[in-house]
Amino acid sequence: MKRIVTGVSLVFVLSLGLFLTPLLAHHAFSAEYDRNKPVKLEGVVKKVEWMNPHIWFYVDVKDASGKVTTWGFSGGPPGQLARRGITKNVLKPGDYVKVEGFAAKNGTTNATGGNVTFADGRAVFAGSSEDVVPGQN
Amino acid sequence: MRNCLAASFLTAAAALAMLLALAPTPGFSQSGAAPRIPRMADGKPDFTGVYAGPAYRSWKTGRVAKDDTDNAGITIYDRQKMAPFKPEGFEFMSRPFTGQIPIDDPTELCLPNGLTRQFMSPYAQQWVQHKDVILNITEYMHFVRIIPIGAPNRPHDPDVELTWMGDSIGWWEGDTMVIDTIGLKEWHLDATINGGNAIPADERGRQRWHSDRLHVIERLKYKDPANPAFLSYEITIDDPVIFTRPWSQEFGYTRHATWKLLEYVCEENNRCLGGDCKPPAGSQ
Repeated sequence: MKRIVTGVSLVFVLSLGLFLTPLLAHHAFSAEYDRNKPVKLEGVVKKVEWMNPHIWFYVDVKDASGKVTTWGFSGGPPGQLARRGITKNVLKPGDYVKVEGFAAKNGTTNATGGNVTFADGRAVFAGSSEDVVPGQN
Repeated sequence: MRNCLAASFLTAAAALAMLLALAPTPGFSQSGAAPRIPRMADGKPDFTGVYAGPAYRSWKTGRVAKDDTDNAGITIYDRQKMAPFKPEGFEFMSRPFTGQIPIDDPTELCLPNGLTRQFMSPYAQQWVQHKDVILNITEYMHFVRIIPIGAPNRPHDPDVELTWMGDSIGWWEGDTMVIDTIGLKEWHLDATINGGNAIPADERGRQRWHSDRLHVIERLKYKDPANPAFLSYEITIDDPVIFTRPWSQEFGYTRHATWKLLEYVCEENNRCLGGDCKPPAGSQ
């Protein structure tokens, strides 16, 4: 089943569930987010909360009619990002970003924000495969 | 004559240089590639330092990334390592999700991981060692385990209360620190709920638990006496409610010279305290 919500920059693709297994060290991914609801959104960063247990950032997403919806994205914990060389300076209000993640189960405009790409192609959180792995494999 | 003396001098100098090259250098291995492990005044290995724990990639690859960075992923116990289950042991361990976040994943409410899940959290950890005590400090949730070092196999406190991290005692077996823990409340065995594709097919939609009769034995040692960068960490799970015998799995720690533990206050910006995960009204 595939459903497309049309819009200039808002696309839902259901039942793909192929990419990204985000690292959610605190959140229980399967309790909060739906692997069958990957989201791909783009817009202007409105606010960044670089705090534990996970960073949150908010993106104003404009649809074809010009209506703006603010999406909240949950990212990794600040400490863990720091140990990958990612500091709070990488993401600022006003940045135009594309975000890939998974939508919340509760139907709100919240999602994980596993991959963030700037307009010039720079990937913020990408390049860090967060696949879950069994301990000794 | 002068040429002969010069030749003799050069030969002697070359021989001396060879001897120096072959001689062990204090603090370094004979290859000169890596320093030896640090030791306490009593000669026991000193594990003091900040480490990437078993969730990080480096202990498997033997490498850390540029600028002393490291990458982590949720890690769960390998089912292949587990001992056979007792009758109904599997059902005790592997419980279907209830749909209730406080049960399916209490960490959403900022409750603790518990010992067997905590050390695999993808956050930095610090070992601090004294001759009579060793501390394990985990950045995640700011947990501190204070482990007294004493005689091997001495008894635990008979009145121990059941807690998330249990009652731990330590002793030396050669260069290995053995940590023996009981008094653990029935809780999650690992983060199966986040296990993704690593979860065995018959455990999908389920969370692993251990019983309050769990007995844990941890063995910490340097992987290589010539290399202070890597620790071997073996954990033995002895849960007579679930398994027919104890079983073990080896993980590892990687020392990171530039790391320090960061403050971690789970409640600071947690969106799931009520079990319904969403930003507070007005934040958007």
